[in-house]
Amino acid sequence: MRRVVALAAFAALLAMVQGVAAAYLPLGWCPDLGLLLVVGMGLCWRSTAGGVLVALLGGYAADLLSGTLLGQHALVRVVAYALARLFSAQIDLRSALPQMIWVALLAVTVAALLASTTTFFVPGAGFALPPLRALAVHALATGLAAPLVTGLTARLVTLLGSEEEARRQLHFEPRSFRT
Amino acid sequence: MGEFQNRIRVSVIVAALVAVALVTLVADRRSLRHGVRDLPGWAGGLLDLAVPVQKMVAVPVDVLRDGWRHYLSLVDVHEENEVLRHELQDLRDDNLQLREALVASGRLERIAKMRESYEIPMLSAELVGVDVSPWFRSMLLDKGRRHGVRSGMPVISERGLAGLVTATAEAASRSMLLLDRQSAVDGTVQRSRARGLVRGLGGDLLEFAFVARGSDVRQGDVVISSGLDGVYPKGLLIGQIREVPAAESRLLVRAVLEPAVDFGRLEQVFVMLHRGPAMDLIFQHEGASQAAGEAP
Repeated sequence: MRRVVALAAFAALLAMVQGVAAAYLPLGWCPDLGLLLVVGMGLCWRSTAGGVLVALLGGYAADLLSGTLLGQHALVRVVAYALARLFSAQIDLRSALPQMIWVALLAVTVAALLASTTTFFVPGAGFALPPLRALAVHALATGLAAPLVTGLTARLVTLLGSEEEARRQLHFEPRSFRT
Repeated sequence: MGEFQNRIRVSVIVAALVAVALVTLVADRRSLRHGVRDLPGWAGGLLDLAVPVQKMVAVPVDVLRDGWRHYLSLVDVHEENEVLRHELQDLRDDNLQLREALVASGRLERIAKMRESYEIPMLSAELVGVDVSPWFRSMLLDKGRRHGVRSGMPVISERGLAGLVTATAEAASRSMLLLDRQSAVDGTVQRSRARGLVRGLGGDLLEFAFVARGSDVRQGDVVISSGLDGVYPKGLLIGQIREVPAAESRLLVRAVLEPAVDFGRLEQVFVMLHRGPAMDLIFQHEGASQAAGEAP
């Protein structure tokens, strides 16, 4: 529980930091830090209930700091967490390059999900993907930042657990590029 | 068996939380009237908390940025001063001539009267952060209900119309920018008085949609708010037409509009402390409905 509260608070803090960083950067250049936290948890935290709860709470925090409806980011983050768990069981997402590529694709999926939910829940809002250039830049930025943020998340998850849990915790560290 | 049970458990948890998110989404959609609302205490608390945190995070970035800007501005300051002095003199001369012409035609008095009738109190607010999602264009302001800010109030900058307050907390508020896909303003071309709808595209440009037949819209035309939407006051500068596609056989033409406000450099804005008649009507109606609902 302690870990869930601490990680949810961290997710809210990340949303605030992202809000400031995005103000100084051109459109799309700021990586989706909240999404990366969720992916990191999906890859390294064995507690599904805890991970999905943090994803939901972090999503709500993002919703409050965004022009979305309350629950839109929360829904998308829960789906992203489930996808991270699902794909990490099928493919090796711990190496840096596959992780970057997968996260970049996930960022595009998230944009499409947000656009779809907006179309569905907001009357009069037609379906329209974000500007393609911004979408590509955002996916690239999020992908490039993935190994760093997921690595930090893994360390944080381990740090916040009890000593015994930390010993049992799956050792997670994104590997560098293989040459 | 244990693995199977675990999978079922994981699926149930994920499905339950997806359902929770969906319920919140639907509930929020129902509580939201015309895109604006006053946030409840628990939600507003986080928005209030975000203001000092984001200001704190921005301090080192601002120090670095300001230092760099000062350095750059000092490099050519003397030359720039000379140019500006000449420009100022030219503008003074122009201003004097224009005033004389206006007084002569009696319009100055009418303009003064008109300005009085549109005198709306304004509150200066600082932009502390932008939308966490690049696909939605909103900004967080450091002024809220405590300072008199209410949902539905227009937000302007010194250059023109910037957006609309869409959510308020005690000490913070969120404002949707003109660039957001859900933003729409009734606009008028200043030169020809052709009317159209200004909509955000999600990027850095706007769209001015107008009926092709009988509308005179050209590249370089200035678009202002018409005031007919009942949300924004009349006469606020929105932007300049950048490109007008050929109408051909289309009924509706979508021109590209460059916003007057440079949203990338927005730091300080002004909240007009007065809702338009349409917004006022919505909130009065809501207030009356709530009062009727609360009555025993």
